[in-house]
This record gives sequence, C-alpha cells and structure tokens, in this order.
Amino acid sequence: MTIDPETLMAFADGELDPLAAKRVERAIAADPLLAEQVAAQRALRARLSAAFAPLAEEAVPDALAARLRSNVVTLAAPAPRRVVSRWREALALAACLTLGVLLGQNWRAAGPIAAHDGALYASGRLAGALDTQLAATQGAAPVRVLASFRATGGGYCRVFAAPVTNGIACRDAHGWALRQTRAGTGEGGQGDYRQAGSPDPALLAAAQDMMAGDPLDAAGEAKAQASGWR
Amino acid sequence: MLALLPRLRRFARALTGNAADADDLCQATVEKALVARAQWQAGTRMDSWMYRIMRNGWIDTTRARTRAGQTFVPEEAGLAIGDHGDRTIEAHVALGEVETALRTLPDEQREAVALVLIEGLAYKEAAAVLDVPMGTLTSRLVRGRQALLAKLGEAA
Repeated sequence: MTIDPETLMAFADGELDPLAAKRVERAIAADPLLAEQVAAQRALRARLSAAFAPLAEEAVPDALAARLRSNVVTLAAPAPRRVVSRWREALALAACLTLGVLLGQNWRAAGPIAAHDGALYASGRLAGALDTQLAATQGAAPVRVLASFRATGGGYCRVFAAPVTNGIACRDAHGWALRQTRAGTGEGGQGDYRQAGSPDPALLAAAQDMMAGDPLDAAGEAKAQASGWR
Repeated sequence: MLALLPRLRRFARALTGNAADADDLCQATVEKALVARAQWQAGTRMDSWMYRIMRNGWIDTTRARTRAGQTFVPEEAGLAIGDHGDRTIEAHVALGEVETALRTLPDEQREAVALVLIEGLAYKEAAAVLDVPMGTLTSRLVRGRQALLAKLGEAA
C-alpha cells in the first residue's frame, strides 16, 4: 500500500482520524523508510517551533503594548464608502471605453465582444474558444487559453490571450462575462504570434486574486468543459 | 488582544523574515484590528482573525514592494541580530538558520508552514486563516516542509 506525502504528513501532525491513522501505522510498521519520514517531519516541526519560541517569550515593545493598554483608543470612524463608489465609476468608465474601442474595431466582423444587459460578454470565435479549447491541447490556435480556475464566488473562469484583447472571462448564465480586459497580443499572421504564450503578469495576478484554490489541471479542465463550465 | 501580541509578533517574524518588517507589520496589524474590531464576531477565535489581518497586510506590503521593484529584503536585514547574553545568542543563532531556510520558501508555503508548524494551528484553522481549501493548504504544507527538510538536513 502506498501512502501519499499529504497523508504521511497529516499522520505526523496528528491530523488523521483514528481509522486513517491506524492504516498509516500499519504501513509504517511494514516500512522503515516511512517511519523515518514521519520522524523527520516531527523533528522539523520541533525544530521550527523551538527556534521561534523565544520570540513569543520576548517582552513586547512598549509602544505596541501601550497602544492596546490605553483606554483612550481613538476609534477612527469607518472610512466613508466613497472610495468604493469612485472605483465603481472608474471601472464603469474603463468598461465603456473598452466596449467602445472594441465594438468600434470589430463592429462589422462580428467581433469577439458583445454587450448583454450592460455587461461585456465574449462572442464569436472568442466565445467558441472559451467553450471548447483546453489549455493542454490547443496547439497554435488564434485564441489561447492560458489558465482555467474556479472563482472564489463559485463558477469557472478562464484567462485568455487573443489578437484583439487579453482578459479573464467567467462563465455565468448568459455566457462568458469579461471580468478583465487588456490590450491584445496584436493582429497578424501566426508568425507574429509570439506573445501568446507569455501571459500578462498583471492579468495573472488578477486571476490569482479571483481564484479559489489552484488553477485547474488538464483533467480538471476537461471535466469542467464536459459539464459545460457550469 | 494584548495576550495575543507575543504570538502575533512571532507570526510576523516568520512571515517577514526580519525583525524590522515584523515590528512594522505587527504595529499595522494592531492598528487595523482596533479600527475593525467591530467586525470581529464574539464567539469566533480572535487569534485566527488577527492572524488573517496580519497575513493580508503582509501580502499588501509585498505586493506594493514588488511594484516598487524591490522584491527581496537584503540578506543582512535578516541576519542582523542583536546579542543579549549567552542564552539568547544561542536561541538567535538557531533562529538564523531556520529563518534563512524559511525565507527561501514561496510566500504561500511559508505562511502555511508558519501557521501550522510554528503557531501550532490545526490544518482546518490554518486553511480558514488563509482562506484556502484544506487540499490546497496540505499540498502547500507538504511542499514547504520538503523544501525545508532538504535545506536544513534530514536530521532537522
């Protein structure tokens, strides 16, 4: 029987339920190597907590403690929500601008962006690519999906790079809602398509913020695609 | 909150890897917690709540620094440790080695290691502080520990 590293670590930390722990104990009895690994994990834990223990015993600096001891703590009034609404305004403005530019550029060509209820959605080839393309097997397609993930609020999102726009699209009831857009990787033949593989760091950082857990692996992506990204 | 300060300072040190940043982070965390203390729900764990404020504050700081183009704290900053008598020197030397190894981990692994191995939180509690699923926490923890074991030697 093989024990994966997560289970072995959880055993060393006493995090397994009694039944699972019993199973690991049996495996350890049969395999000295496993026993060694558990011992190493525990020794590491002991060493780390011992190394940092003196810090928790050090006297807290006066300035810090005084801040909490003082009875006249001035509770700053909650910051007015004005900042948020300004952000909304800025975002709405940016969205309008993007919409205008993209629609302007692609009106006749049934472009990659469409509006629905005041929100931007992928359409045409972009929507098709988001629906069907898998990051692992897409080859040299004009639209490239860089990563797929589950958003913290639920639902699937995908990071893409296309000639007209790069962005993050999240699947909702109407289709692929565009949450982020950036200037695209440029029109041109396949030969010009050098940037597609190197994702925009700002875009990936935004994706990281939206992500619940890790990006989907190839199997997870295939499964999500099979269920229509819902 | 006062009683939590020693642990918060320890966590700050583990996150930042040097005393100066740890002090700043601790100060900022206390200020934020005071301002936001109405949001803390009685009956929930205050330590988890404050760990979370601290960790998010540190993420903001490192992001701002990355933008400013100085991702790495100079090595000396972490090694400059005062000496106050023999016992403390010993403790600090040990901290230096462990801390240097800890500092080489990616942030997401370091914070998982700090919460579970140094602060002694259960996996579930640590996952809640970091706002990640259990599976994510354990895989970060495994990778972080393997890297530490490789650096500090099997004998740990």
